Amino acid sequence: MKGLPSLFPPTFHTFFLPGGLLSHYRRHPLQLLALAAMIVIATMLWTGVNHLTSQARASLNQSEQAVAERQQVVRNDGRALAIDDFVALRLAGVCVMPWLEVTPETGSRLVGIDPLAAHCFGAGTGASQALDQPLDGKPFVDVYAAAGVSARESRLYLLTPEATQATDLPGGYSLKTFATSPDTGELGDSFLLNLEALGVLVLLITALLLRAVYLLGLAQRRASFVLLHRFGVSPEQVQRWLVLEILVLALVCVVPGVWLGRWLAAGLGGGFGQALDGLFDIPLYAGQGHGWITPVLVMLAVVVLACLGDLILLRFRGRLSLPVPVRAGLATALLVAGLVLAWLGPSLAWVFGAVALVFAGAGWLTPAAVAHLAYWCADRSQVPLARWRYRELAVLARQLTLPLVALQFALAMVLSVQALVTTFEDTFDRWLGQRLEAAYYIEVPAGADGRKAAEWLTSQQASIPGLQWHRVVRGQAQLANAGSLQVDVFAVSPVGSLMRAWALVEAADQPWETLASGEGGMINEQLARRQRLEVGDSLQLIVGDQPQAFSVLGVYPDYGRPVGEVLLNAETLPETFNIRFESISVSPGEPGIAPVTDALQRIWGVNALTVRDNGTIRELATGVFDQTFALTRAMTLLTLILAASALLMMGWVFFSTRAWYFRLLVVWGMSQREVADQLQRLALLLTGGIAVLALPLGIWLTWVLVHRINPLAFGWSLPMAVYPAFWLELCILSLAIGLSIAALMRRQLGSPAVAPASASALTGDER
Amino acid sequence: MNRRMGLLLGLLLFAGCSGDTGDEGFAGLAGLEQGAVSDTLYLQPGPGVRLSFPADFGPHPQHRIEWWYLTANLETAVGEPLGLQWTQFRQALEPRAASEPAPAATDWPLQAAWMAHGAVSWKGQHYFAEKLARGDMGSAGATAVPFKVWLDNWQLRGNADNDRWHLQAAGDGWSYDLTLSIEGAPVAHGEEGFSAKSASGEGSMYFSLVDIAITGEVTLDGEVLVVRGKGWFDREWSSQLLKTGQKGWDWFALHLDSGDKLMAFRLRDDSGSFLSGTWLPAEGDPVRLSSEELSLKELERRKDVPVRWQLSIPAYQVELQLNAPPGDYLNRGLYPYWESPVNVSGSHSGEGYMELTGYRTQ
Repeated sequence: MKGLPSLFPPTFHTFFLPGGLLSHYRRHPLQLLALAAMIVIATMLWTGVNHLTSQARASLNQSEQAVAERQQVVRNDGRALAIDDFVALRLAGVCVMPWLEVTPETGSRLVGIDPLAAHCFGAGTGASQALDQPLDGKPFVDVYAAAGVSARESRLYLLTPEATQATDLPGGYSLKTFATSPDTGELGDSFLLNLEALGVLVLLITALLLRAVYLLGLAQRRASFVLLHRFGVSPEQVQRWLVLEILVLALVCVVPGVWLGRWLAAGLGGGFGQALDGLFDIPLYAGQGHGWITPVLVMLAVVVLACLGDLILLRFRGRLSLPVPVRAGLATALLVAGLVLAWLGPSLAWVFGAVALVFAGAGWLTPAAVAHLAYWCADRSQVPLARWRYRELAVLARQLTLPLVALQFALAMVLSVQALVTTFEDTFDRWLGQRLEAAYYIEVPAGADGRKAAEWLTSQQASIPGLQWHRVVRGQAQLANAGSLQVDVFAVSPVGSLMRAWALVEAADQPWETLASGEGGMINEQLARRQRLEVGDSLQLIVGDQPQAFSVLGVYPDYGRPVGEVLLNAETLPETFNIRFESISVSPGEPGIAPVTDALQRIWGVNALTVRDNGTIRELATGVFDQTFALTRAMTLLTLILAASALLMMGWVFFSTRAWYFRLLVVWGMSQREVADQLQRLALLLTGGIAVLALPLGIWLTWVLVHRINPLAFGWSLPMAVYPAFWLELCILSLAIGLSIAALMRRQLGSPAVAPASASALTGDER
Repeated sequence: MNRRMGLLLGLLLFAGCSGDTGDEGFAGLAGLEQGAVSDTLYLQPGPGVRLSFPADFGPHPQHRIEWWYLTANLETAVGEPLGLQWTQFRQALEPRAASEPAPAATDWPLQAAWMAHGAVSWKGQHYFAEKLARGDMGSAGATAVPFKVWLDNWQLRGNADNDRWHLQAAGDGWSYDLTLSIEGAPVAHGEEGFSAKSASGEGSMYFSLVDIAITGEVTLDGEVLVVRGKGWFDREWSSQLLKTGQKGWDWFALHLDSGDKLMAFRLRDDSGSFLSGTWLPAEGDPVRLSSEELSLKELERRKDVPVRWQLSIPAYQVELQLNAPPGDYLNRGLYPYWESPVNVSGSHSGEGYMELTGYRTQ
């Protein structure tokens, strides 16, 4: 053979060899189109998910910084900080600044800070921004002045710059967010982590599909390669050209794919930013995520690996091929190891590794298991046609391994995404409900008395139909039965209908009525879990300077908030309670908010009020979250459609190559309609079987995301919900794919016979 | 309280203003409240006031301002020169008699503000950091016995005999951990320790330790350098360091290879300058140098800062040229000033340190 190339001038290799290779696509333009479309859509999908996730993560990080822009050092034993702690930390080289909050006997809250200690924060950073304000008692004063005030209550916080790490602290201290409003970042963070995990899955599925379509093309081109080989072209030369071909194709398709993905994500990004801005009253949207290079390189690598991994492996195929029982054993071992690791894995890395193992094991095992099961059924069936059908199913399972596994993975992913998104949607909805319970939120200005507003609102209750309101007071207390653990206090008064829409995790009889009568309190989920508190337990609190006992009336969800919180009736708070925040939540009914704000300005003697229109924010936020969820669903559904299309295409080609064989059934005496029915049953058996096999994988994946990854990443878990109706929908969709394949086959059976020789062109001569 | 707050805000305000004019260097701080009622409550040093050891190593709460100041000319293991500075200042916001107990830390008292500076100069690079703290809290202070000066985790501590000190400080990208062997008694400057700063009598109490052998480690950007060399330690306190109109000072502390040492300074104002110094011969007693016995001339400026000088003491045949090495040695803190090692050439060779305050670019 080595002498043959000399028969051809060098121009042959330069001009005619690529022409000969590419002639396949001239004969099968749809295949080229399918491959190109697959790369474009796969790139778009992954880039979209990736871009969306990175954008949203950047925005949420920004929001966290803005809302909880400072961090503080706390004692690990939960006790209040004292000057000795300040000195010990400074002597240890930790940059801390005192933040002494005092509530004077008369007058409004003061915050004492130390400009000298704050010097180590540097200019323009978190805590130093507090110093940009004059120390004029509104509310900032020098810490010396604050310490000298005759106070009902005072509390020392030690703020530290963002750069301070937990490892910088001496023993007995830890870092904690110093926020003046509830921290809301965890919920979004959790959703994004799950979205990222799903992005990896999308990448895996698209890689499998690409590989399936490309291998189909290679199989069909085998005759061309043999011919070229006879003309003296070495397999290495063919491989080099194939590498070049796929690289060019990948580059041509990846770029528009990335552009489409970014376009898809950009549509959502603006809305996401708007919602964040509204929720936190400050511009938070971080803008564009990653650039072009990363997605282009990642997708190029995926395409090349998915398509050419086979070429590379060809050299080792002989060495890699393992006996069937060994492969099955190995796949089972991977699956079992993955399941055990996912259950017991101590960290995120282990659990992600476990997911990879389970998918590898399932992907390897599924086609073999289907084939094995089919043979087992065939052996036990007495009906000849059924036996034929089962054996044919076994052949299909082996020949369509890649698209079948991709479909299984896609189905499992769609199932888990649906469960996750629905759970998050519900949680977001309740979170919004809790955060934006009233139509408007009016901040009580510094120095003003919230109770005067409450008196006026009470007097208006009868005259303004539909007026709903309550006063919100925030501060802190110590939980005496947990070693003086510090907890946040969220107190409302009156406990009206605005509060009663809250969904409670656990509740006593008529919890809101009892709270309204001032006879108990509620706790958040975090506090209940950490202190093992249940409804009916007694809560020993030191509120202000007074010990008070409350019965736990209910446990309310905290949606990832890590701080223990107690919900009390504000009327039960003692005079000595240090109010850190005070606001009025109002749904003003028919007359609108203007008369309320006018009256409150008059009562408080101020010219302007900070009013937040919760209704608009809620509407916007709901809309945007809906959009986020819809897009997430759309992306996963698109992946499913992609997988279905690939299976459809592969199935069609595969069935086409075996059409002559199916026609033999007619020769054996069956009507064409009966043959078509048999093929339909065969296709339904295949795709239905895959759907059934995808269900446990999908449910398991949901469980891992909700109960393993989330707690490991964030220390809390969402409730895991199952949606059997959606499983049914997926099964029906899968059967519809089978029906579509059968319909195509029905047409194929009606067309002139296909040469049996082409049957071997796919992957072999299996009968 | 308002006055104290004013002082404190003034202290911070100066940080913002110091880039615009040449008047508000650290030296200007002492004159901040001149003429105020409380001035009478501060003790003012003058001729006839004597030094007292070891008490004068400790703080002087009845004086408005004081500092503990160390400069060192060191060498790395391969002989590369490395300059080093550590200074801690106390600025009183309210005078307190030595017999009066310190206020309780629980009150977050504001009788004094402390400031510490640390710097390392090596191969033309200048590393600098600044720390601030309020006094009487425990996080910053000084004691005479045992000798200790500290601000957060920057600490200078002496042993029981006060002849061996340990100094630790760290900033972004640098740190040092040094052992100082004190060789020799304190040298009193001026008249038995009263160092005049103007012809009209303003001045400070001032003494130095000029024979200090230093060993230790300096870490720069993760690189640990073993160093050894000599240091110069100053103690100075006053309540009215500068007279009104004085813009800043130029200060030099030199170790000459002949074994002689020299301290010289010049205080500048619109009408001229006031020079003073101490000649420390290798053998014999220190000699006070008056304005007439000492001359100081700028030879070259680098970005408006004089970096080459000619220093003459005709009576001792001293004709020195002082050169700052290439680089920018501005300590960019609340009160920017120049602090650099210098090489000495001319009639004598040697090395030393130079501090320049109140120049326009600062």
